[in-house]
Amino acid sequence: MTHELLTHLEDKTQELKGGGLSEEEAAKISTQAFGPPQLIAQQIYEVHSQGTWQEAFFAALPHLLVALLFASYHWKNLISLSIILAAVTCIVIYGWCHNKPMWFFPWLGYYLLPVIITGSLLIYLPSGWVWLATLAYFPLALFAFAYIMKQTASRDWLYVSLMLAPLPVVFSWSLALGINGVLPGNMLLTRLQPAIPWIVVSFLVLAVATFAFTRVRQRWGKAATLLIPPSVILVSVTLVNRGNIGFWGWLILLFSLLALASPAWLKAKA
Amino acid sequence: MDYGRELLKGNTDCLLLCLINNQPTYGYQIIKELEKRSNGYFRFKEGTLYPALHRMEKDKLIKGKWQVLPNGQQRRYYHITKRGQQALAKRLLDWRDFSTAVRLVTQPETI
Repeated sequence: MTHELLTHLEDKTQELKGGGLSEEEAAKISTQAFGPPQLIAQQIYEVHSQGTWQEAFFAALPHLLVALLFASYHWKNLISLSIILAAVTCIVIYGWCHNKPMWFFPWLGYYLLPVIITGSLLIYLPSGWVWLATLAYFPLALFAFAYIMKQTASRDWLYVSLMLAPLPVVFSWSLALGINGVLPGNMLLTRLQPAIPWIVVSFLVLAVATFAFTRVRQRWGKAATLLIPPSVILVSVTLVNRGNIGFWGWLILLFSLLALASPAWLKAKA
Repeated sequence: MDYGRELLKGNTDCLLLCLINNQPTYGYQIIKELEKRSNGYFRFKEGTLYPALHRMEKDKLIKGKWQVLPNGQQRRYYHITKRGQQALAKRLLDWRDFSTAVRLVTQPETI
């Protein structure tokens, strides 16, 4: 795209120079004739930012799958979980190798989840091994995280929010239900059972928001769609726990709102 | 409201399809050709042409291809697609009906 605009400017400048103008004057007039760069950038963004219906569906699909996993109680089934993890891995590899299309970022967000969960499970290792595992695992995980964030942000800051959207949902529910550690199966089930319909609603909302994000053309509209899920989750979590989600729960929710709002804020500041 | 600008905005796609249908062409040439053929009537901010071209390409009405000229310069030539030709035919028909209707109302004696 940039190359195409540059060739246009070069043609115009050459023509004006042929008419007797100096290089500087010709370049200035060519640039002025082009119109306001911000308007052109916005128009081009709006053309390329809208995904097709299929892309929108595919972007929302991982959230729908998670909602389905909970709705059908298959989240307890190791085989179902392994199949989904394998599918996510294959799709992430495919998307990464094929110019990272917009629909790929929600899948990437879920791919990061096992990395974080593995990290949090390290504290349950025997005491001597914890430090060793921490030293080996955390620098690697942080490097991978930083690399992925950098790559994603280089495409668009909004994609970082799109990618991270599932993480606050998962953390909020985990903290709110007090299952941030390893619990015996029956205890986990007792705590999760009453919240399952709300968890399903949370992921469905995330799916709808992602679908809208892909279809909306305007940048502000995309940022707005990403702000809906944390608000709904906040209400859901509060309803289930009667407002008692603990200090960390509130902190995570506040952080998620800030993280998701940051692209809109950065855009307004630019 | 600038009436002329609004008219141009509503018919940009039709004008661009018409030019590209005549022969594959590139952005700068389109601007020159539009200005020349309309005796200077159609002048729009040059940068705004490209979002329109890319939108039409996304809608599969045209297709852009980079070509290297004998002097080494590169140009992105736009070709009309089958779908673009169908869209153009429909828009020209709509335009003809519309202009006839306008003429019938404004100058009934000339019909």
